[in-house]
Amino acid sequence: MTNEQGKDTRLVLRIGHLYPQLMSVAADRGNLFAIVKRCKWRGIKTAIDQIFVRQTPDFTQYDLILFHGGADREMEVAARDLQAKAPSLREAAESNTVFLAVCAGYQLLGHSYKPFEGPELKGVGILDLHTEGGSTRFMTHIAIECEFPECGKQVLVGYENHSGRTYLGPGAQPLGRVLAGWGNNGKDGYEGAVYKNVFGTYLHGPVLPKNPWFTDLLITRALARRYGQVELPPLDDSTEQEAHAAAFKLAMAFKGTVSAIDATPWRERLSPGSASRSL
Amino acid sequence: MADYSKHGGGGTSWPGRARLALAISAGKLAGASGRLFRIGGGTSLPGMIARRIDPNVLRSVMATTTAKKIVITGSNGKTTTARMTAAIADASGRRVSHNRTGSNLLQGVTSVVVNFADIFGRLDSDLLLFEIDEGTMPVAMPEIQPDVVVITNIFRDQLDRYGELYSVAKALDKLLESLPETATIVLNGNDPQVASFGQQARARKLYFGLRTTDVGRPVPEHAADVIRCIRCNEDLVYEVAYLSHLGLYRCPNCGYELPSLDVAATSIHLDPRGDGPTQVTMETPLGQLELTLPLPGVHNVYNAAAAVAASIAAGFGIEKVPAALSNIRTAFGRLEKIQAGDQTIYLAFVKNPTSFNLVLRLIAQHPGEKHLLLVASNTVVDGEDFAWLWDVDLEEISPQVADVICSGTKAEELAMRLKYAEVPLDRVRVIHEREAALDAALQNAGPGGTLYIMASYTPTQELRRIMQKRGWVKPYWEE
Repeated sequence: MTNEQGKDTRLVLRIGHLYPQLMSVAADRGNLFAIVKRCKWRGIKTAIDQIFVRQTPDFTQYDLILFHGGADREMEVAARDLQAKAPSLREAAESNTVFLAVCAGYQLLGHSYKPFEGPELKGVGILDLHTEGGSTRFMTHIAIECEFPECGKQVLVGYENHSGRTYLGPGAQPLGRVLAGWGNNGKDGYEGAVYKNVFGTYLHGPVLPKNPWFTDLLITRALARRYGQVELPPLDDSTEQEAHAAAFKLAMAFKGTVSAIDATPWRERLSPGSASRSL
Repeated sequence: MADYSKHGGGGTSWPGRARLALAISAGKLAGASGRLFRIGGGTSLPGMIARRIDPNVLRSVMATTTAKKIVITGSNGKTTTARMTAAIADASGRRVSHNRTGSNLLQGVTSVVVNFADIFGRLDSDLLLFEIDEGTMPVAMPEIQPDVVVITNIFRDQLDRYGELYSVAKALDKLLESLPETATIVLNGNDPQVASFGQQARARKLYFGLRTTDVGRPVPEHAADVIRCIRCNEDLVYEVAYLSHLGLYRCPNCGYELPSLDVAATSIHLDPRGDGPTQVTMETPLGQLELTLPLPGVHNVYNAAAAVAASIAAGFGIEKVPAALSNIRTAFGRLEKIQAGDQTIYLAFVKNPTSFNLVLRLIAQHPGEKHLLLVASNTVVDGEDFAWLWDVDLEEISPQVADVICSGTKAEELAMRLKYAEVPLDRVRVIHEREAALDAALQNAGPGGTLYIMASYTPTQELRRIMQKRGWVKPYWEE
């Protein structure tokens, strides 16, 4: 079968992609692809604005804002630039715009980020959390269990690669409970943060393509802001489910390792035999 | 400079010399049996065994040799640059020892010494050529004490192994400070980050690159890594971008710009069908060169410019360059053309968005619909973090895709990536077992057809081993 463009619903999802070049270290544009394609396949149009440094748009016009990861050097640039964007970003968050913030983007939505070396960076304070740099990096496959009223208990899978240890305050809820991996700080067993429709996470991979339930949750909540409750027609997600299952298997196989690469033997550890299947 | 005293100087005392001899002999034996029993090329095994017996084996041999030592490092282009440099040195009458199979971690580098030295650690070579993984440089460089260090480029590569891009760059830059005045650092001037290296170094610097508007795009592609000024973080302005962030750049804020290039390709004519040959005019401090490279793509112009600069730095001259480079062959797995009965296979080893995109763009120029086999695995050399697949522009080739087989432990992620690049689902199949995947892909290609294989490191070797068994390729260590 082929994924066709869905019948036009006349719905338009407005997306603001924050720092698409500056903050794009782990190919997180895959998150944008997942949102755009899953909308297109359902006849929902997407309008994407790329937002660079020195631009201060009205962020409340967006239904969904993407803010991804970068290395420390990029993060410094973003942190400085963000202060001019902060009031409008906070207004958007309060007016229920959906945010997906990953890794450095997640950290910068909090109050502050103190790197292991170097001066503290100020965040925008939308999420009640702060982050401190650690001496070791968590670099491994991760799986977390989340629960939302729309979809009940669901598993998010991905890869984490961060030295930051994030601590949540009372104003933020964790995104999920760690099943395998390290999550926010490697101690309290939780990963990510949620406030209203603002979602922060360390999961990349990128996170959305192989977690279609989460992509659809973000799309539904983003559309609800202007169109009310919209039922998304189901898609054939067999490809995504297989990628999800493979990633979950990896997360479980690497459970307890700080660095997956150090724990990887030279030969492939999973050899699923000669299974051949048509997608 | 490294402090030898604290390492015991393996070759100086009698027990030390005996140990060195034993280490080299055991390493040689391991390599020979590996080849004899066809269990592998023995490209890293001899080094591994020898280091286990005498951890100072590389250091000891390096300290006594009079040969020139060239180290080639960077994200992409190491193997082909090393091969080109070896060809130029060879044509210039130098005896070359070289880790030519691309086994570029510490063990592979030590294997060069074990394979080419006699049991007393003496080398009968004029040039020792080492291709070294950028993450291995901090441990390998002090042991080798090179005369010439070539840095090809720095791209995003295996984030989970080396942390982030800048930490790799910082470590490399720092290392260059340990080189003496007599050494030469050969740097890619088109790479804003690499060009900024060695500011604190005492060694001489030689810059290579492209300076032409014959090729390239007006702005860097999306997967470009370094597009901000290395000094002031302002966005760089490009007159032309050749490959990812490599280009003619300038900072509008502080005026940082590319250095004047010592070895510069000033005119480039690429084969429009993406297959080669490439005509290049190259300016050098020793005069102008007219080159015909039998290899396709801008990346091979970079490899040639780096090799020419390295040869000049090592004192080989440029007279033999055109002849040496006119019959250079693709290194194994670098879009290697393989005859498989009446079918043709192009085998490409892809390890990061830059190399993958480069291959996609080249084969998109080949006429007709494409039959593909994509293989990605998670091993130490291939990397665990496969996120970078989403920086690969599969969209550029998706309209041409007739069918794809996905294999390896990351097969499902590959299939999903293809789905989001809008390759119709009924054209994509997952087959984990390697040989079955190859056979299915060849069946897809049909009689007389062409198959394109893009694979990460370990699967490239595995596929080549299968093709070797079938008599389609020679073992890579016999190339």
